[in-house]
Amino acid sequence: MNRSLIILLGALVLGAALFGGSYFAGQRACRMMRSADDLSWLRDEFHLSDAEMVCIQKLHEGYLPKCAEMCAKIATKKAELETALNSSTNVNAAAQQKLAELAALRAQCQAQMLQHFIEVSQTMPPEQGRRYLAEMQRLTLGFHEETESSMSGAMDHEHHH
Amino acid sequence: MGGGQNPAALELMNTENINPEDARLGALLRESRIAPSLPPRFQEGVWRRIEESVVPVKVTGGITWLDTLVALVLRPRLALATAVVLMVAGALLGVRNGSQMVHQDAQARYLAAVAPNSLR
Repeated sequence: MNRSLIILLGALVLGAALFGGSYFAGQRACRMMRSADDLSWLRDEFHLSDAEMVCIQKLHEGYLPKCAEMCAKIATKKAELETALNSSTNVNAAAQQKLAELAALRAQCQAQMLQHFIEVSQTMPPEQGRRYLAEMQRLTLGFHEETESSMSGAMDHEHHH
Repeated sequence: MGGGQNPAALELMNTENINPEDARLGALLRESRIAPSLPPRFQEGVWRRIEESVVPVKVTGGITWLDTLVALVLRPRLALATAVVLMVAGALLGVRNGSQMVHQDAQARYLAAVAPNSLR
């Protein structure tokens, strides 16, 4: 192989290594410097002051035990539902009862969660509060909406044909 | 070292060198020298070798742009500037991407705290 070509390829490899090394070093340094806690996203995304963060921190700490309690209830109810489903090949009355109870628990938990989001949004400046509420609804309830709309779209498609 | 030589003998030698008889002797000697005969197809061989020596020049002429480029790339100032630009660009891009990743991680962490997966 030509000597000039080898030198040029070597220079290209060296340049790529320099660029790649700097890229990963910069990325790593950024991730190490900005270690996140549970609420750091709120502070950065909605440009909150220290005073607002103190209020939100209190609300957050008050909400977490309630959330954990509801999660434990839901987990228990799911285990009961699985037991009811495993004992029969059909969706029997007991399983239907457990499904209804699980749905009610989830609805209760979601209502509690939305109430928390509303309280948090009220500690923010109005515009940021509205944006926070919309974003949280999108992130927490949007998945079901997407699934439901895709399912209804598929059903409409079948009905047309 | 030459101080012991006889000046008279040196003068005699110089005198003999400019003797016209020596010119004749020289001509005789040149005539008596045997000129070697050229090998068969000598001229054709010479032209062939000249052509062969010209062909590689054409081949190397085809990649001179590469040599020029290498010479340009290997200039110390340009090489250093390129290295610095690559490092700065890489670091800036890495920091930007890292910042986005931190933002996404933080969002996921907040969501995991306030909205467990069973509700989403």
